Amino acid sequence: MVSFKLVRRYLGKHKVRSILTIGSLVVALFLLCMLRSLVVALDAGVRGAKRDRLVVQSAVSLFVDLPQSYQSKIAAVEGIETICKWQWFGGRHPTEEAFFAQFAVDMSELPKLYPEIAIVEGSFADVAAERRGCVVGRTLAKTFNWQLGQTVPLLGTIFPGPPGDGWQFTIKAIYEPTSSAVDGNTLFFHWDYFEETVESTMGMTPGTGTYFLRTAPDADQVAIAGAVEQLFDNGPQRVTCSTEAEFQAQFVSMVGNVPFFVAAIGGGVLIAIVLACINTMLMAFREQLHDAGILKAVGFTDGSVAGLMLAESLLLCGLGGFGGIALAKLSEPGLRAALGSMFPGYEVTGETLLLASALTLAVGLVAGVVPALRARALRVVEALRSVE
Amino acid sequence: MSEPMIAARRVFKRYQRGGETLTVLDGLDLEMEEGRFYALMGPSGSGKTTLLNLIGGLDQADEGELVVAGANLADLGSADLARWRAANVGFVFQGFNLIPVLTALENVELPLTLTPLSKKERRDHARFALKLVGLEGREDHRPQQLSGGQEQRVAIARAIASDPKVLLADEPTGDLDRKSASDVLDLLARLNEEFKKTILMVTHDPFAAARASLVVHLDKGQLGRIERNAAPAAPAARS
Ligand SMILES: Nc1ncnc2c1ncn2[C@@H]1O[C@H](COP(=O)(O)OP(=O)(O)OP(=O)(O)O)[C@@H](O)[C@H]1O
Ligand SMILES: [Mg+2]
Repeated sequence: MVSFKLVRRYLGKHKVRSILTIGSLVVALFLLCMLRSLVVALDAGVRGAKRDRLVVQSAVSLFVDLPQSYQSKIAAVEGIETICKWQWFGGRHPTEEAFFAQFAVDMSELPKLYPEIAIVEGSFADVAAERRGCVVGRTLAKTFNWQLGQTVPLLGTIFPGPPGDGWQFTIKAIYEPTSSAVDGNTLFFHWDYFEETVESTMGMTPGTGTYFLRTAPDADQVAIAGAVEQLFDNGPQRVTCSTEAEFQAQFVSMVGNVPFFVAAIGGGVLIAIVLACINTMLMAFREQLHDAGILKAVGFTDGSVAGLMLAESLLLCGLGGFGGIALAKLSEPGLRAALGSMFPGYEVTGETLLLASALTLAVGLVAGVVPALRARALRVVEALRSVE
Repeated sequence: MSEPMIAARRVFKRYQRGGETLTVLDGLDLEMEEGRFYALMGPSGSGKTTLLNLIGGLDQADEGELVVAGANLADLGSADLARWRAANVGFVFQGFNLIPVLTALENVELPLTLTPLSKKERRDHARFALKLVGLEGREDHRPQQLSGGQEQRVAIARAIASDPKVLLADEPTGDLDRKSASDVLDLLARLNEEFKKTILMVTHDPFAAARASLVVHLDKGQLGRIERNAAPAAPAARS
């Protein structure tokens, strides 16, 4: 087809300009895909959340602990099968820089609450047999090169450790999450070890930040959550009972509303690239004005001359956009490894690819529409009079 | 007598320039027969290009009727007009007006892409047209690799590629040296004689006009006298 050849030749005529425009599109679309994948990774916990899990927290704030006396009262609510204390520990490794999450939990309840925690080395029984036993995620173990049976020391930033050795945990099991509901970078340890130690060092019984609940398969979640909240309507401390998805979502927004910032950056990138493409296409239009007149004189309709302009824009943007998308997909394994524990589950999903493709086409259309309309309205006599 | 190939009746064309109205064509009447070679002469600014553009459907008259190759141009919308142009008229311009990014062959093929011809047929037609204008072997040259005379011959090949009835040429030899001009005029005369094209050629050059069978003069917005060239100056010996 001569027309397609024409479009290609026009792009080839101004090689440097075409390459620069295509290059910026590659960068832009790559960035957009990456940013979206980061948000998707952040949201992984929310997406993986199970419908049969509920989380009880203080109605005041997540940072206010709940008394342990609540456990038996909540457990009595009909439809609840499992209840598990869940306390943020906030320890730091004495020598390792990188931070990771640790929770004190009712170890016997953990596997019932989270069947997604699949043990790949050791066993829950081994953890149960050891007071200081803990279970760690495989990615975490890999990051620090930890082996089964190894002792991990931690500095308690909120809860001071026992005098002498400080907090010591022995790795008795290593797990691999089977769903994005569970982060593979966490250390879980015994509630009892936690409680006894805190009692001896701080002289008080610790509360728990949250209770995680698992309900019966056919239970009415809304009714259960309502019943739990009602239990403590008159104090001593009111609670909020939300689904696991809602609970996870508040962390995503706690990281300083990352999705918003990402959207803002992405929007900025997008606007910049659209402007760059419009500029390129307007330049192209000016240069091809005379030729457009020739085409019309030869018998091309206004519509087909406009179509040629639009095709040029789509080809230009398509080359750059799909280049960037391909780059994002190809770099996925490398980036996943590099981002490591910060964004577990970094993945350029099919939805991201689809969105980015649609965006590429939209940029092509937006950049091409003004030159195309001008080409359509162009009068032959005037175009031919213009000097090239 | 059969229908004229080109007929204009009381055609007006005016331009607005800074509040003033410039009447370029002032109720012009014109009839041109099929298969003739006309030269159109007149002072600069007399409206020759304007008239040619109206006849070729590149511009619209303000008043009057234009019937060309059987179509009343006022009846055609922009898309139909474009299609009509593709099928019925070929243009040759003073400045050649080839598409610089396309080769000679591709330029000639351009109007053929608007026909139902297959890719191979288009190729063949275009090659034939280039051969006809004596540019065999130059198919893959870009316009900037050709001389002015060669460029104009490519333009003529493009104008005749889809076999239109009418050729409109606006000072086709204006930018050419004497030898190239003579080649182009030979070619136009041959297209008229052998292929029975109706040709309307604007020119300032009396030698060029002498190659046509009829010379019409445009002055003050009206068509003046028509001269019949008793024997169009014979081209240099052609066997
Ligand atoms: N678009 C326009 N707007 C205003 N005036 C115009 C326009 N096009 C042509 N004219 C004027 O109309 C008159 C006729 O122009 P035209 O180009 O038809 O003359 P011409 O006979 O072809 O002249 P030349 O021999 O110099 O090519 C000129 O005075 C020109 O300035
Ligand atoms: Mg003129």
